[in-house]
Amino acid sequence: MNARTSQKTPRPIGEDVPRVDAREKVTGAAQFADDLQFGPGLLYARIKRSPHPHALLKKVDVSRARKLPGVKAIVTGEDFPGFIGLYLQDRYIFCRDRVRYVGDPVAGVAAVSEEIAEKALELIEVEYELLPGVFDPEYGASPEAPLLHPDLGKYEAVNFIFPEPGSNISNHFKLRRGDPEAAWKECAAIVESVYRIPHIQHVPLETHIAVARVDMDGKVKLWGSSQSPFAQRNLIAKALNISQSDVQVIAPFVGGGFGSKAGVSMEALAVAIASQVRGRPVKLRLTREEEFYTAFVRQGMVAHFKMGCDQAGRLLAMENSYYWDGGAYTEYGVNITRAAGYSCTGPYHVPNVRADSYCVYTNHPVGGPMRGFGMPEMHSGLEQCIDELAEKIGMDKVAFRKLNCIKTGDTVVTGMTMHPTGLEQCIVKAADASGWGHKDPPMAPFKRRGKVIAVMWKAPAMPPNAGSSSEVLLNEDGTVTVKVGGQEIGQGSFTIAAQVAAATLGVPYESVRVSGPLDTDTSPYEWQTVASRLTWSMGNAVAAAARDARQQILDMVAESWGESADDLDIVDGNVISYKSEESLPLKNIVIYGLPKPNDQGWIGGPVVGRGNFMPTYVTGLDAQTGQGPRAVVHYTTGAQAVEVEVDLETGRVEVLRGVTAFDVGKAINPELVRAQMEGGFVQGMSTALFEALQLKEGVVQNPSFVDYRIATSADAPGEIQSIIVEVPQEDGPWGARGIGEHPMVPTIPAIANAIYDAIGLRPGAPPYSSEKIYLLMQEAGLVE
Amino acid sequence: MTITPHPSLPEFDYIRPASLAEASEFLAHHAEDARPLLGGTDLFVRMRDGFIHPRFLVDVKYLDGTDSLSFNLDGKGTTEAGLTCGSAVNMNRLIASPEVQARYPLLAEACRSVASYQLRTRATLVGNLCNASPAGDTIGACLVYQAVLQVHGVNGFRQEPLADFFLGPGKTRLKPGDIVTAVHFPPPPEGSTGIYLKLGRNQLSDLAIVGVTVLGFPDQGTISGYRFRIALASVAPVPLRVRQAENYLAEQLLSPDRLREAAVLAMGTCSPIDDVRGSARYRQAMVRNLTRKGLEAVSSRLLHAQDPN
Amino acid sequence: MAIHSITLTVNGFSEQVEVPSNLTLLQLLRDKLALTGTKNGCTAGECGACTVILNGEAVNSCMVLAVECQDAEVLTVEGLAQSGALDPIQTSLIEEGGVQCGFCTPGILMSAHALLQRNPAPSEADIREALVGNLCRCTGYLRIVEAIQKAGKKRLQIAAGGVS
Repeated sequence: MNARTSQKTPRPIGEDVPRVDAREKVTGAAQFADDLQFGPGLLYARIKRSPHPHALLKKVDVSRARKLPGVKAIVTGEDFPGFIGLYLQDRYIFCRDRVRYVGDPVAGVAAVSEEIAEKALELIEVEYELLPGVFDPEYGASPEAPLLHPDLGKYEAVNFIFPEPGSNISNHFKLRRGDPEAAWKECAAIVESVYRIPHIQHVPLETHIAVARVDMDGKVKLWGSSQSPFAQRNLIAKALNISQSDVQVIAPFVGGGFGSKAGVSMEALAVAIASQVRGRPVKLRLTREEEFYTAFVRQGMVAHFKMGCDQAGRLLAMENSYYWDGGAYTEYGVNITRAAGYSCTGPYHVPNVRADSYCVYTNHPVGGPMRGFGMPEMHSGLEQCIDELAEKIGMDKVAFRKLNCIKTGDTVVTGMTMHPTGLEQCIVKAADASGWGHKDPPMAPFKRRGKVIAVMWKAPAMPPNAGSSSEVLLNEDGTVTVKVGGQEIGQGSFTIAAQVAAATLGVPYESVRVSGPLDTDTSPYEWQTVASRLTWSMGNAVAAAARDARQQILDMVAESWGESADDLDIVDGNVISYKSEESLPLKNIVIYGLPKPNDQGWIGGPVVGRGNFMPTYVTGLDAQTGQGPRAVVHYTTGAQAVEVEVDLETGRVEVLRGVTAFDVGKAINPELVRAQMEGGFVQGMSTALFEALQLKEGVVQNPSFVDYRIATSADAPGEIQSIIVEVPQEDGPWGARGIGEHPMVPTIPAIANAIYDAIGLRPGAPPYSSEKIYLLMQEAGLVE
Repeated sequence: MTITPHPSLPEFDYIRPASLAEASEFLAHHAEDARPLLGGTDLFVRMRDGFIHPRFLVDVKYLDGTDSLSFNLDGKGTTEAGLTCGSAVNMNRLIASPEVQARYPLLAEACRSVASYQLRTRATLVGNLCNASPAGDTIGACLVYQAVLQVHGVNGFRQEPLADFFLGPGKTRLKPGDIVTAVHFPPPPEGSTGIYLKLGRNQLSDLAIVGVTVLGFPDQGTISGYRFRIALASVAPVPLRVRQAENYLAEQLLSPDRLREAAVLAMGTCSPIDDVRGSARYRQAMVRNLTRKGLEAVSSRLLHAQDPN
Repeated sequence: MAIHSITLTVNGFSEQVEVPSNLTLLQLLRDKLALTGTKNGCTAGECGACTVILNGEAVNSCMVLAVECQDAEVLTVEGLAQSGALDPIQTSLIEEGGVQCGFCTPGILMSAHALLQRNPAPSEADIREALVGNLCRCTGYLRIVEAIQKAGKKRLQIAAGGVS
């Protein structure tokens, strides 16, 4: 008998146990990277950055800066010829021959204080030769645009990215399925639209920070706020041409990531600078303003949609083109392009599809992964088109989605067969809970009320062989230490790890600790904490490690008792026999083993469980058609319903309530799942109503909280209802799949569709500011 | 060019003078190199952004009278009748004052709309006025309550009526050596009631994209029997009183149409610009809509007060 | 630049420190007193992550000069729990699930503490208004508001019943 095959779900799976990290966070004890103490030898770094969006780097003169008392080192691109990048190596650590965005690092200074390092920046003289800039992805993709990366053809790329050398297109994902040309003729209604989705930023409350130390023998130690210590170790080792085992990355709690702290960004700068002051730690932290435009941003995109359905409302064809404003470097962004390509239809069954997803270099901030990884940007326009099409064909908007939504066994746009999914359930439940079909009257005569739904899907976007591993160690007192490489960024991954270990081993939840901070020298490998993959992938690895530990314990006790391990179990921290009814607590034996009778020796030893998980079934996709047997591991699907009020006198859109329903397979901790649903909804709402990086000739006009507004406590809706649907994921722990990103994906189009329902005007691309909505109404003659 | 604020405050010397005379002399002597310090909430941001580089910050919060908040009903004693708010009084203290809530509720309402509770613990009314931002939330309320600033300079004390105080965005009549020690408000007109309508990008804590202040009170000297004072924020180089609309209302009998027309007049007198926060076109329309709303709310209260039935 | 010698009380402890004019209270707490519970999110008085209680009032410590804190009483998140027992705001925040990444949490706790001191039974609207200067990117605020309401009730119960 074994926990996995047991009929009943073991505790504490499915329970709302409190977070393992909550207490230290509310007492101020939880350590983040800037809280770590490094002693009086700590140096501080600041970065000299390009003020121009595109220019040749003619000369960097650091001689005056070097002489400033307190300056210990200055580095430039001359010192670091290696390329760095996750999917495509297109970036230098410091610019060498040209700068490609405002903020591009040109030199780095280490000094005894941050103030002195800052002063040194003013003494560094840089000569630029300005070049014409590219500020639009469609223009960037055209032959007229200047080439931002003339050496694109020489860059190393993974085999599922397809750059087009001689252009600014760093990835072109093609999807061809069926015959859209023929299908248009069969369509009774067609909608064609263009959406320009603006850049936004993740706005983690904790800005990026890294402390690097390079020892005399060249070994690198890096502390930082990081979602991906192992990816950082790998990419930095490659860029510096050293062994991964000579790079150690230590990552304490992350004060919000949302993707911005995945991959490598500013951390490489700290390591590079530290290599010039061997033996001393160097701290680099971004100001909030730098965070807005020199850290990863969420790239903008221009999306062309064309979709059509037959008289009965069945979707027949889609032709979509996505131009991603990837920014100066697209080493990470190329995969967003791909993910949007293979999921280009949204969660719908569409038999005829033509899609092109282009990642385009521009002289804009660097686009990187942000919660949703291309899905929020894509669904923003796609779900509005669907809404329009449903209306055009005269069909109820919920019914239209129910009819066309992807269902278990359907063939999705890449040719993959859809695994069991509860999307239709999510649609029905969200619609019911929102009171679909009935609208309450507005709260004032100058307000209009709108209510509608939007749906989504997303798969973890990652290499086909992204792996997880885990160790489960037992301690003298019978408590359990779980080691993972998956990071706690607020989503509750450590808590999930503890729950999975407790359930699999058979010990109380309270006796499980999760080891932190993550440390690539001692934590087991995890690809990255992204893609909403940890509960599923890391969860499987923890379960495997716990099973391994469990088996070691049962084998040892079985030998001691002269019984079969199959008759033994661990329940509540005690080894029990179903046969002899013996019972033995875990403590001591898990370290010291069991004595043989008559002092004849010992059985067992320290219990160390190990396990891993890596999906092995994801296939490649044809480069010309995007077709393949298994494009992704799985999709999480869901729906959101939103009720808004539009103020006719100011244009203000108020979100009154939200209903969010997602199929998570199995909620290991329902409260944590709901917390993601609420948090994602509000973050999505914030991007829908307030957020855009205002870019003018490559310069961000609003890089501060004063003019980049995010939702505050006063903006959160009155109510968010979270509905958990559970259609098990075949290879997830107790059927679980991810939820972290998904609640942010449908929120923009849900609000946009609700605005349309309220005032009869489509608001287009976000943000749906009061001004945008008022002027829209004014233009249409609805208001003065 | 994008701004590149420093990670921390630049270097300066913090000075705490022993007297107003010493403070004014020091400030006059150092001119642009020295600034008076109250709450610092605007000053620190601009210093960090690199827009100003004072060598000295002169803390004037502990000097005579700057910490007092007092109301004098009938002008007996040394102070004039009305409310005197010392320059060091923070906004939260002002908001919580029973006298302010009872007699100058519009002042409390305007202060309450500023930023956040934490910032209002440091920010001062006088600081907000001296900052002279066209978007200043409290300036409208101070204008309609006819504020007068008490200023100490190298030549001693003088009064500066707020109505003539602003010369342009961030520019006032203050000269080097000047320290505003208090702002004084005469007793408000009998039966007055007011509203501050502020439009931000999100619900609370934002700067004003458009701010409309309306004060109304019974006045036998007008045709309608009421007089209004209207001030606008964020739609001109300085916060302004809309005399044209005010006069118009004084010469008419009140009606919804008259209020609407006054709002259109207000729209016509302002000159908003396009900036990162909003467009001129939108601001124009909002001046009209919010002025109308403000006038409707205030006149409804006035009429109700006169005849509760 | 001038250096000032100041004495102040932090979480009940008397501290004497030398501070340059341009040092903020936040830097004093984090860099000189090793109280790293208070966080820096923006250095501009916008995000509230640096909120502490200064002389009984909530302030953004990044907007207060250390030199102005002579004789001041400062309370930070480290001082909230009394002799190991968590304050009701802390336990409520845990119970309601109002903690995710934890970076905004110390600032939120201090703003909540200041609110409950001046308004022991705040309405939902009161709480939302009081917290508007504390940005959170993870939770969506609803659970935080709920937690503070519950904490207010718990504190009143304790004050009335005298049992902690």
